[in-house]
Amino acid sequence: MSDIGAIRAGARRDFAPPAAAGPSVSLVRLTLRDGWILVVLLAASLVLFALLPTGRLIIAAMFRAGSFVPDTALVEITSRAALRALAHTLETGVASAVLALALGLAAALAVTLVDVRGRRVFSFLFVLSMMMAPQVVALAFIAAVGPSSPLLNTLGLAPEPGSPNPLRGAGGIVAVLALHHAPLAFVTLRAGLRRIPRELVDAASVDGASRLRVVTQIVLPLLRGHIVVAGILCFVAGIGNFGIPALLGLPVNYLTLPTLIYRRLSSLGPSVIGDAAAVSLLLIVLTVVGLLVARRLTPADDARLEAGSSVEGMWSAGRLGPVLQAAMALMLVLVLGIPLLSLLTAALVPTYGVALTVDTLTLDNFVEVLVRQSSTARAFRNSLVFSGAAAGLVALLALPLGYVLARYAGTWRSLIEGLFEIPYALPGIVLALACILLFLKPLPVFEVSLYGTPFIIIFAYVARFLPLALKPVTATMAQLDPSVEEAASVCGAGAWERLRHILAPAVAPTMAAGALLSFLIAFNELTVSALLWSRGTETLGVVLFSLEEAGLVSPAAAVALAAVAVVTLVMLMLDRMAGRLPPEILPWR
Amino acid sequence: MKSILATLVAIAALSAPAAAQEGKLVLYTSQPQTDAQQTLDAFKSKHPRVDVSFVRDGTPRVMAKLRAEIEAGQPQADVLLIADSVTMEGLKKERRLLAHEKADLSAYPAGIHDKDKMWFATKLITTGIVYNTKAPLKPASWLDLTRPEAKGLIAMPSPLASGAAMIHAVTLTSNLSQGWKYYEALRQNGALASGGNGDVLKQVAGGEKLYGMIVDFMPIREKAKGAPIEFIFPSDGVSAVSEPVAILSTTRNPAAARAFVDFLVSAEGQELATRQGYVPAHPGVALPAGYPDRSAIKLMAFDPQKALNEDGANKKRFADIFE
Repeated sequence: MSDIGAIRAGARRDFAPPAAAGPSVSLVRLTLRDGWILVVLLAASLVLFALLPTGRLIIAAMFRAGSFVPDTALVEITSRAALRALAHTLETGVASAVLALALGLAAALAVTLVDVRGRRVFSFLFVLSMMMAPQVVALAFIAAVGPSSPLLNTLGLAPEPGSPNPLRGAGGIVAVLALHHAPLAFVTLRAGLRRIPRELVDAASVDGASRLRVVTQIVLPLLRGHIVVAGILCFVAGIGNFGIPALLGLPVNYLTLPTLIYRRLSSLGPSVIGDAAAVSLLLIVLTVVGLLVARRLTPADDARLEAGSSVEGMWSAGRLGPVLQAAMALMLVLVLGIPLLSLLTAALVPTYGVALTVDTLTLDNFVEVLVRQSSTARAFRNSLVFSGAAAGLVALLALPLGYVLARYAGTWRSLIEGLFEIPYALPGIVLALACILLFLKPLPVFEVSLYGTPFIIIFAYVARFLPLALKPVTATMAQLDPSVEEAASVCGAGAWERLRHILAPAVAPTMAAGALLSFLIAFNELTVSALLWSRGTETLGVVLFSLEEAGLVSPAAAVALAAVAVVTLVMLMLDRMAGRLPPEILPWR
Repeated sequence: MKSILATLVAIAALSAPAAAQEGKLVLYTSQPQTDAQQTLDAFKSKHPRVDVSFVRDGTPRVMAKLRAEIEAGQPQADVLLIADSVTMEGLKKERRLLAHEKADLSAYPAGIHDKDKMWFATKLITTGIVYNTKAPLKPASWLDLTRPEAKGLIAMPSPLASGAAMIHAVTLTSNLSQGWKYYEALRQNGALASGGNGDVLKQVAGGEKLYGMIVDFMPIREKAKGAPIEFIFPSDGVSAVSEPVAILSTTRNPAAARAFVDFLVSAEGQELATRQGYVPAHPGVALPAGYPDRSAIKLMAFDPQKALNEDGANKKRFADIFE
């Protein structure tokens, strides 16, 4: 910030007499004269991270041995297994989106319209539950019910041994997906509710309309656009989810498209990669169509309300207060309380199926996974290093890329931003597949393959999480006054120098937040690394998944809790930075 | 005194080549986790300077990993110990295996190992039927699993997770008159085929399912420990795999790899197999308790060449029925 002040002061001094030699300030246009290298960087990043992976995937699906054979892809897509997986994907996607929408809408209405006590805390905790990785949530719920549940055994409520876990299969996937994505609907709907002008509601209230009628006849119709968008977002998130259908569906052969792709590749190897790519086209189409529709329907953001005219907290809670508070508490118990308690009891008993008592309580599982077992300890290290490296790269890239986008891209900006978001929007398993296609064969010039090395995972993380840093950095840059740069430019500062000395300090907090957010998600992810890991490059998500697969629920729960601890720590760090960040970077604020 | 010294020197000289192996050795195997660890520990006690580590998963998944590594130009495994010889034949055709000319196979009958000494059978593992002792039906043949009493109560290993299950599917579909319709009927009867043999054992022993197709050694040794299960060799016959071991041509430690193969086919290695509850490949080593005599086990016919040619198609066919 002080740098900017210095330049500003200098600029004023130098250009005080407008008649000084050279063009006047208003004519100084930032040109690409010295910034061409930034544009090349943007183009290269766009090709490398967004266009190449997607393009390679489509080619793999449509071409076999160099010739165009779309009918092979069609045969694969219309096979019994693929159609069944498509039906499963649609049914869990739609059902979970409807449920998530209902929960999110109820919560958003209550928390926004009514001035109920504790609503800030509720918002924070509710959205926090979304930051738990899907496979962690799935593990927590599996361990919470069923005959071996340490939680139910401790309470003496466990069903008879031998009975199947009720969460395995379609119903469980829908329920857990809905709980996991309800905060997503909540965040979207809350943003919509805040834009409703209070005057409309006040006018109705003067006419004597009851609160219920205000909600059903004024608020909900005004919110219609956001409701549809929230539903689509939950649907897209649901069909691309891997962790939840992997843990809840694979053991009973209830496969969705992401888990079908995973199982085919992990069991049949690279020989079926073309078939997997063909199946992934189904997911790409569903995702892209969903997001395009959502984008079209997203209500314009131009109706900015004057301060104090929002519907936020407009009704006092009154007698409804305790009821609403109880409902909010119940919701938090469902999305946070039960999962965390379940993981904790599972991690503290010697083995899955044992009840937690003073005698059985043990920290052995934590010692086992954090210290004794080399593979889990290594996975912790790997996840820290991979996601740390990716977060650093993402932040560093966001600076020059965001600069070009904010200053030079003009009307192209939203299109380019949209293209950068492809790897983030697509299901992780699809991106992983694309990375294998790109990097399995040794690279042309270097003659080495990235497959089996950490670099393939780091590449995938950078491609996937770049938009998390790029978008806020670009937005922050666009808000900075360009006159400072113009001044610096006239003083002879090239694009790089302006970037380093003027813009970097100004957007540093946003870059840091983008990096931390990327780290947060990458550290926990499973979708991408499930296909990309090899001996020695296991991630935390991968060891959790394989421990659970092997029936070692207690060590898996210990891994999950350790991961939750790291994530909570990073979230607290981010939250402390919130004051210095542009609004709407942190999803829970 | 002199002669004793000479004998000691001679013994040292004889055992020297075996004990002198060192360096890293990576084993890719489909043996269950604890069995693989025991095998490795036994090998390590003979060759303490070999730093041997292993990757364990079902044969198809081990092979999927290895295939991807091969395509990337960097196979990590030195030695492969997987369920079936069909997969080994495929690798041999692609010149991925290294012959071990000096392997001592004098104790074995002809035809049990690869004639070019590229892979070596270590066991005889059959697939039969397991049932929970609480089950109302006592199955005797494969067709019994399609009976209504077993509806929704059957677990079986998937060929996408287990190499033995793949051989089993090929054997059954070519021996039973129903062919693949038999598997369609199992699916109609609510059979679940998702994981490997370990999952089948867990579900039948835990009572979640009552009947299962499974490799012999798991239920036989768990029954001995008191699990409420029974294993039968169906009257129509069983399928079998030989859990072969092979050295990859790309191994970075051929000496240690040969020592590992030597250990597995030696009488000592074969006795370890018996202690672990497997039928050893070595005809001179006794069977573990709980098995009928070797001659009483009826093996169904099997065409390895056809199985190799149709491997990919068969796996897809199975997945299409069950997934």
